[in-house]
Amino acid sequence: MSTLKMTAHTGLTLARRAALALALLIPAAALAAESTAVTSPRVVATLLSSRDAVAPGERFQLALVQKIAPGWHTYWQNPGDSGEPTKIDWTLPDGAKAGPIQWPAPSALPVEPLLNFGFEGTVVLPVEISVPAQAKPGERFTITANATWLVCEKICIPEEGVLKLDLPVEAAGIVDAAAQGRIDQALADLPKPAGFKAKLTANGADKLALALPGLPAGASELRYFPLSDTLIEHAAAQPSEGGSLTLTRSSAFRIAEPTVEGVVTFREGGARRALLLSAEVEPGLIQQASAPARPPAAVTLPALPALPAEDLTIWLALAFAFAGGLILNLMPCVLPVLFIKALGFAQAARASRSQVRQQGLLFLSGVVATFMVLAGLAIALGAGWGFQLQSPPLVILLAVLMSLIGFNLIGAFEIGGRVQGLGDGLASRSGPLGAFMTGALAVVVATPCTAPFMGAAMGYALTQPPAAALSIFLALALGFAAPVVALSFAPGLQRLLPKPGPWMVVLKQAFAFPMFATAIWLIWVATMQAGANGALAALVAILVASFSLWLIGVTRRSGLVLRAIAAAAALLLVGATSAFVIESAAPTPPSQARAEASDAWSPARVAELQAQGKPVFVNFTAAWCITCLANERVALSRQEVKDAFAKLGVATLKADWTNRNAVIAATLAEHGRAGVPLYLFYPASKGAQAEILPQLLTPDILIGAAERAAGREVKTAASEE
Amino acid sequence: MKAVTRQTFIAGLAVTALTLVAGTAFAQGPAKPGAPAPAFSVVDVDGKTQKLSDYAGKTVILEWTNHDCPYVRKHYNSATMQNLQKDMAREGIVWLSVISSPAGEQGHVDAARAKALTKSRDAAPASILLDPKSALARAYGAQTTPHMYIIDPKGRLAYAGAIDDKPSSSASSLNGAKSYVRQAVAELKAGKPVSEPATKAYGCVVKYAPVS
Repeated sequence: MSTLKMTAHTGLTLARRAALALALLIPAAALAAESTAVTSPRVVATLLSSRDAVAPGERFQLALVQKIAPGWHTYWQNPGDSGEPTKIDWTLPDGAKAGPIQWPAPSALPVEPLLNFGFEGTVVLPVEISVPAQAKPGERFTITANATWLVCEKICIPEEGVLKLDLPVEAAGIVDAAAQGRIDQALADLPKPAGFKAKLTANGADKLALALPGLPAGASELRYFPLSDTLIEHAAAQPSEGGSLTLTRSSAFRIAEPTVEGVVTFREGGARRALLLSAEVEPGLIQQASAPARPPAAVTLPALPALPAEDLTIWLALAFAFAGGLILNLMPCVLPVLFIKALGFAQAARASRSQVRQQGLLFLSGVVATFMVLAGLAIALGAGWGFQLQSPPLVILLAVLMSLIGFNLIGAFEIGGRVQGLGDGLASRSGPLGAFMTGALAVVVATPCTAPFMGAAMGYALTQPPAAALSIFLALALGFAAPVVALSFAPGLQRLLPKPGPWMVVLKQAFAFPMFATAIWLIWVATMQAGANGALAALVAILVASFSLWLIGVTRRSGLVLRAIAAAAALLLVGATSAFVIESAAPTPPSQARAEASDAWSPARVAELQAQGKPVFVNFTAAWCITCLANERVALSRQEVKDAFAKLGVATLKADWTNRNAVIAATLAEHGRAGVPLYLFYPASKGAQAEILPQLLTPDILIGAAERAAGREVKTAASEE
Repeated sequence: MKAVTRQTFIAGLAVTALTLVAGTAFAQGPAKPGAPAPAFSVVDVDGKTQKLSDYAGKTVILEWTNHDCPYVRKHYNSATMQNLQKDMAREGIVWLSVISSPAGEQGHVDAARAKALTKSRDAAPASILLDPKSALARAYGAQTTPHMYIIDPKGRLAYAGAIDDKPSSSASSLNGAKSYVRQAVAELKAGKPVSEPATKAYGCVVKYAPVS
């Protein structure tokens, strides 16, 4: 007996439903070797057996037969641009097994402009069944196939049917000749394994070449059907030339295995033939998705990741990072250090060219190593670039460093014309350590500049996977070191430098002032972070550090005892001061004065204001962020902006990232930033998503965004002019 | 002379730096994930012209749909699609359903019918785009219903492909299905690259209007 169940979820007219009901009620009187048919207006499906009775331990063929109404089709294992292959779920006696569907060669079924792979007319899908050896004559061998298929014309109907065959087990199986004949024919028509090795190679960025060296010379009308649905654009033409097919890569192109399986059909002398192809894939194509796979999250130091050539953005980012590194050389806090290094080269050039080169390379390694350590920390801590400036003691340390370099440049530590100061002392030491330390020092003094000026690039870098982020920092480091390295390698460039002379002393002293300016700014940052005590701590630290150096310098030529006393005193002073600095420089909550200027930000506050129907402007900023301060000056504090905000009822919130704050860091990350500034404009409706404004603001940008957020325009003083 | 050269050099560097900060000039290309999404201007069910550029700064999801397609029905009958639409709206994402079936083909609806379907199914798209000439479908290369596209706030195609990883019309396939859309949106939100930016869409074939 057979049962059947049909479900056609959709597109069923009443008449069709009636037909279905009839099919359910009147089981056709089937032959033993063929199951009762599952019938819909589109498909008549049966299960066909090559045996009327099965023998223990034998293997035989069954087939799912679909008689498909004209104009309709069912699908191959890769259905092409849409559709779904026929599936069979088997329920078999214990120990029995069913093999996979042995797929006939599909037809290409155009549904302009798309292409499906499937079957029209009658299709026979053979499956091999193995009978367990322990099956006993006299038992029943009951096979239940729960088959599902999608049948489509232009519209698609999923259908399913339970097909049942109940065969006796006998000592010798009984072959059903008619059924066996039909199934044998289907097996004979299956694609045959190709007797040659096909090869799949890249052909430009969006094409593939499939070499078919063993195809008969007279083969025409070639078409390749891949098993994977993410290999080629199915509907694209497949021009063939000289035994090779040109294929178009899928928009979801991906190859994971060293070989790809498929079927190639062609016409040879009037007969349609099909071959099963296993094509060897060019190694470069394997594992290539349309976007780079994410490398593991672990922080690994700078093994350059293999970046896919098509991914322009990462290369663009690397190029920008290199250019950014070059620009950093011109920063007020960096230029003095590098200039003096360059002058050192000019002086040394006459002495030994190879030594200069060696120094250049050591400088490069100092730069790269320091950048990598800082970038590694930024990534590992998830702190974002600028984290160096979020800790008041670190800010004070940088202020001290800037001041000492400044004092040194101006000559405060010079005794008898010899340069001995910190930093420059190391930098002018001609040993390998000296050049390496200059590189490290240059990066350290550059960090206060990188954070504000390079925010966007760093932000982009830190939102990338670690390997890509480190590559970007590496490019930045290379750009940063490039001028000095170039100078050390090109004697011609060295000659361009002016001849050493008294003017050097003047210039060196002049360079002290940018360093002092940077120090003042850092002291101000420390004040913002830690209040008046922060300023005091910074100034005391500068005093003690410079006094200690002076003390060591002044006693340099004295006796051992005096030098030891000076060194001990300096050490004691520095130790005591460090303790004082760290204690006084504890971060304080943002001062009242700044909190009052605009409301403090929190996600809840934004939601609340939005619910009140107010557009909300959020200013993510930090005291150490120069770009933020520039925006305040040129845009945010402008009267026309204030007027427009007032007229449109814009609520302004400030998120202050001067000190570390996890909620702010998370919000920055959500918007693809690793640092400030970030400006968000939330529309005046509850839950609406914010518009992200550019990092460099103008009054027009702000007013425009405010109008969009408020949903109306405002006449400003500026526009009335 | 030398000073001029250096000034030019510095000016060049400054331009590079500004570009760096702006950092958004990327090459045009086909509608592949990572490339700029094709711009469009399509009339919606309210007679309003919807442009992709209207949503600059927002994430936009395009859902190709055909209410009579069994695959679409799987997602609507189970309320999976509606829940996804509502969750995305809550994230501030603009969800645009697209109907590309021409008159006389399955899935073709007029504006009133489209609105009625939204109401009866308790669906929550921000709007429904009527594309009876299949122009939008051609621009994006939509193949199936559903076929999902996610456009990031910068106007780049962040995801194109299937709605989930269970290519079946059977409701039971929803159990344990991985939503590619949710995955991509979560990754975008976390500022991460979309791990699976292109998958094979599954469903009924998009009924294309003949090229006029």
